[in-house]
Amino acid sequence: MSLGMPPAKPIILIVDDEPQIRRVVRNALDEMAERILDASTGAEALDLAASAEPGLVVLDLTLPDMDGLDLCRDLRAFSRAPILVLSARQSDRDKVALLDAGADDYLVKPFSTAELQARVRAILRRSIGSRDDAADRIVVGDLEINLAHRTVRRSGIEIHLTPTEWGLLRTFLTHRGRTLTHQQLFHAVWGQVAGDAQQYLRVYVGQLRRKLEEDPVRPMLIRTEPAVGYRFELAP
Amino acid sequence: MTAATSTRTRWWLLWLGTLAATTVLMLLARDRLDKAHVALVYLLVVLGGSALGGRVLGLTLAATAFLLFDVVFLPPYYRLQVADPLDWIVLIVFLITGVVAAELLERQRHEAEVARARTVEIDRLATLGAETLNAPRPEEALRAIAEVIRLAMGTDRCDITLTHAMLDEMTPSADAFELPARVRRIPLEARGTTVGTLVLSSDRPFLLGPDQKRVLSALSYYAALGVERVRLASAEDEAEALRHADRLKDALLASVSHDLRTPLTTIKGIANEIARGGDPDRAQVIEEEADRLTSLVDDLLDLSKLAAGEMEVHLAVNTADDVIGAVLQRVELAFRDRVIETELAEPWTDLVGHFDFVHTMRILTNLLDNAAKYGPAGSPVRLRVWREGDELRFAVEDEGAGIPAADQDRMFEPFVRGRSRPPGISGTGLGLSIARRLAEVQQGRLTYAPTTRVESRFVLSLPAANVPVAEPSP
Repeated sequence: MSLGMPPAKPIILIVDDEPQIRRVVRNALDEMAERILDASTGAEALDLAASAEPGLVVLDLTLPDMDGLDLCRDLRAFSRAPILVLSARQSDRDKVALLDAGADDYLVKPFSTAELQARVRAILRRSIGSRDDAADRIVVGDLEINLAHRTVRRSGIEIHLTPTEWGLLRTFLTHRGRTLTHQQLFHAVWGQVAGDAQQYLRVYVGQLRRKLEEDPVRPMLIRTEPAVGYRFELAP
Repeated sequence: MTAATSTRTRWWLLWLGTLAATTVLMLLARDRLDKAHVALVYLLVVLGGSALGGRVLGLTLAATAFLLFDVVFLPPYYRLQVADPLDWIVLIVFLITGVVAAELLERQRHEAEVARARTVEIDRLATLGAETLNAPRPEEALRAIAEVIRLAMGTDRCDITLTHAMLDEMTPSADAFELPARVRRIPLEARGTTVGTLVLSSDRPFLLGPDQKRVLSALSYYAALGVERVRLASAEDEAEALRHADRLKDALLASVSHDLRTPLTTIKGIANEIARGGDPDRAQVIEEEADRLTSLVDDLLDLSKLAAGEMEVHLAVNTADDVIGAVLQRVELAFRDRVIETELAEPWTDLVGHFDFVHTMRILTNLLDNAAKYGPAGSPVRLRVWREGDELRFAVEDEGAGIPAADQDRMFEPFVRGRSRPPGISGTGLGLSIARRLAEVQQGRLTYAPTTRVESRFVLSLPAANVPVAEPSP
């Protein structure tokens, strides 16, 4: 997948009550941003997000005046800016709740500068590139997926997919590069009432990998985000 | 009841018959009999009747014999009058002797009955004492006590609970015992405090007699002691857990002072070098040392969560290839020249388990890291997965020398590093103990399982899950 024109630099809003962390993040992202704003409280962050319309929000989960999860939901209510959450908490439930609340990605403290930059680059590329997501035909190596015709070919030979496998693949492709929580995948593939299908999501993913991946225990397309969900990667 | 009535009727008929018979016999020989003979024979009948038939029969016999004596044997015959006034003395003395004898015998019998009841009570208490002392576990002793009380009270059920019933549910006053009820709750007291509740219940409302009430108060004392024993035993368990935590804390302090200070010293030293114009590339070491500290902090947090029983566990249906894929994604970069050979049994749909994805990843990552550290350089590390009955098994093997027998028992203990550890290999000494506990919190096992072929081999067993055959192809 080609990215076309190099994207314009966005305004980045950093929300953290620790001045040291704000400095580290500011230095790390300086080159990627047109301008960097920072806020030390949730209220300040909401004001700035509304007035400056940032292209990315880097948000610390623990703030003095409000819960990061609530702030995430409040931001989502009026802004489509991608949100990267920084958290000292490692609980998987927190991660899932964040993604379900509209965060795009999360990073657990302590993190390296290189890791932070890589995540931000990926998020920005995705938000700019989202316009190409409608592409009907996707080619990865010798694999060719045609969404319009509902066909998957490897080296020209068609691979048969069941309806559920198709539903899963279509969901992955329309959200490629983004981590989808288990819950989001159930809703997209099985609808609101997931029932027993919920616990078999992993089995369906396994089945789809066996059909699409060259080595199902070293998947390159459908990546596992432990305890959170799955992510479809086109750029290895 | 009817059996007792008929026995009593039989005694009455027999003794009244005896009285009639002796009267007839003596009447035949009336001319040759003295008043004393008649009195003695009648007295014998009254005594016999009292002894065998009870007080009422005795008194009835005495009164009847008194009348017969007067009417049949004292002149003028067949009249109530007595000719010789001195004969009144004979009659009155006879009556008093009969009545007193009947009363004495009755009292004697009552005492014998009380004594028998006491014997039964003592038997019960002895049984209870034996049951209480013999039961190997305090909970069993409590169950035994409850059973003895149930038998003694004749109720359908008897439960002893360690909790306090609500006050208004209790049966505290003696008055409450006078009304029939299906359930009675009796507070159990030991050393002046309420330690539990005795609950007696039957399908039908029941009353407790005075004897039962007395026995109950003795028995409930045993029940209170039983409850105390259970409490003390759990306090003992708690004390043992505290001692264990204390040992862990000592080991932790020792580890923290060494394993935390060493990287901190390096970081401080290099930061200082760089600040004074040293080689900025050395900053890389700071990052590596910070990573070491991070993993130590993570390990310590996990260990304390596991020790406190607060580790979150999310059991779900997961596939082996999914968890292995995530593990390989994480460790293969760090393996560099080492190859991880994976071997998954077929069909892959059998390799499904009910386990915590993240914890399992953590265990397998730790085992693979160890294999990379301890196996000979350049040799492959093998990861095999297969299904064995109700278990999903993961084996991690390397071509290293294995674990010396002396270390095998201790290596799953926190802060223990193998004595044969090659120099330069770092680690917190927490990895295997955390891995084993993580296996246990998801109903799995982690064991060191060398074979004749592979000496260095660890096996993780997790509960398997069965999935229906997936969607049929249209």
